[in-house]
Amino acid sequence: MKTGRKMALLVLAAVLAVMAGTALGSVSIPPGDILAILSGRLFGTALPPDIGPGYPAMVTDMRLPRVALAFLTGAALAASGTVMQSVLQNPLASPFGLGVSSGAGLGAAIVIVTGLASGAMGPAILPAVSLAFALATAALVLWAAGRLDRGAGGVTIVLIGMAASLFFNAVMDLLAALSPAYAQRIGLWQLGSFSMREWSAVWVLAPVTAVTLAYFLCKARTLDVMTFGQEQAQAMGVDLPRARGWLIGAVALLAGTSVAFVGIIGFVDLIAPHVARRFFGASHRRVLPASALIGGTFMVLCDLAARTLIPPREIPIGSITALLGAPFFLYVYFTGRRRGRL
Amino acid sequence: MILEVKDLSCGYGGPDVVRNVSFSLREGERLCVLGPNGCGKTTLLRAVAGLLPRRGQVLLRGADAAALPRRELARRVALMSQLSPVYFSYTVYETVMLGRYPHRKGGLLDRDSDADRQAVRESLERVGLWSERDRPVTELSGGQLQRVFLARVFAQDPAVILLDEPTNHLDLKYQVELTESLRAWTARPGRCAVGVFHDISLALAFADTALVMCGGDVRYLGPAAALDRALLNRVYDMDVAGYMRSALRRWE
Repeated sequence: MKTGRKMALLVLAAVLAVMAGTALGSVSIPPGDILAILSGRLFGTALPPDIGPGYPAMVTDMRLPRVALAFLTGAALAASGTVMQSVLQNPLASPFGLGVSSGAGLGAAIVIVTGLASGAMGPAILPAVSLAFALATAALVLWAAGRLDRGAGGVTIVLIGMAASLFFNAVMDLLAALSPAYAQRIGLWQLGSFSMREWSAVWVLAPVTAVTLAYFLCKARTLDVMTFGQEQAQAMGVDLPRARGWLIGAVALLAGTSVAFVGIIGFVDLIAPHVARRFFGASHRRVLPASALIGGTFMVLCDLAARTLIPPREIPIGSITALLGAPFFLYVYFTGRRRGRL
Repeated sequence: MILEVKDLSCGYGGPDVVRNVSFSLREGERLCVLGPNGCGKTTLLRAVAGLLPRRGQVLLRGADAAALPRRELARRVALMSQLSPVYFSYTVYETVMLGRYPHRKGGLLDRDSDADRQAVRESLERVGLWSERDRPVTELSGGQLQRVFLARVFAQDPAVILLDEPTNHLDLKYQVELTESLRAWTARPGRCAVGVFHDISLALAFADTALVMCGGDVRYLGPAAALDRALLNRVYDMDVAGYMRSALRRWE
């Protein structure tokens, strides 16, 4: 199948997933009504008289912001994962391996235990602090890798990122253990959730995602060259320390922003790039958009499963993605090893 | 002179691994670097390619290579490293097209130009892999992969090619073909090549000049044809010619 046609299919799947995510839930809303409500909102057309009384508010204030946030988060994490795997030449790398998630988690935990999160400014302070911690952790990991190993090889970055992740996770657990009143809230944050989200998060994440994705696409060829290893990339004309610094910085910003709003959601960043490569080859011009679409669609469907499988309870989204992601991780690892590629 | 290396020394933070190496290459000249394991051959190549901090000078047609931006340097010098594993399934064609990287502007609207496509096609035909262009590189054998990387170096269209044991994974036929395609490549104006070799006979078939290293120092620099048997025996710590003669005797 031609690349254009495959991409069109992905877009179609994304639109269908968004429709399903908006339509299904405790109350099912027919797709026709959703379209009528949307067009009423966007173009001021009149609503049909037979539409359910609570539907407009449910669509525009509850379901749609949630679905949009899920899609953006999935797309952001998938794109970040794609870039990390290429920059570190490691098919199992992810932004979380850089310490981005644990750093953000520690920031969030500090805001929660100091009681700041419960204050009036809480909804703004929590994501701001956790994003700052995510960026600081990524910078720390890169700096330490550069100090330890002059070439700052991909493996060094992965190892230091892993150490930083474990360390900050431990500090976060310690904070939770020392302040039992907040332990549950920290635990919930760690599992990630799209509940109680409003448009404000979408309005922050959407431009960040759009701008970083465009930047990654501009650097698609540089990313292609980087997958062949540091030495070859440099010999082919890539200013490696600079390119790597900018790309990893952009990853930390993108993944950090999404983690700051919704908490830690693993595995999408790992799965989506591999699925995208399987169908679109390795070239970043195709893999980046495909991976973002797959990640967004997958996340919307996971969130749909999270809130509809055992109503009225909600399964933490992190559990759903990990339940599907863990077996996939093993599959990639072992098939890769059989071919002698890892 | 296309390439001049003057008093080059370098290492990895500790004592120098390569000490005071100087040589220069004219248009069309091919230099082979010989020496036992760990004598600094690969380090020398990496330093000339600008991948290691170094002391001394590398001049490209008289211009200081250290002053060139990375991309500009890559338009003039290409390095074919020892084979490393590939993790991502680019096609053969895409991989060779990446050799055009230093010649392109990059950015969102960057598309393959006719010159790019032409260069990639010629390079792939040169190594006999044009018919395999749509295969993913992850499915290739070591030898095929090595030829893909050689094609990528050709597509980079540099003035100087540096090769680190380019024949490692090749069977005999392709070893000979590779040395021949390199000879043909350097015959075009403004080009020269440096190759690190383990196989001495192949090195001498490839090169007109030889540089022999031992323990980081240069032991010989001169015509490949005039390489001294006693020197090789000392450097490799064995009877090199005797070994080759006994191998030959087996076929006679």
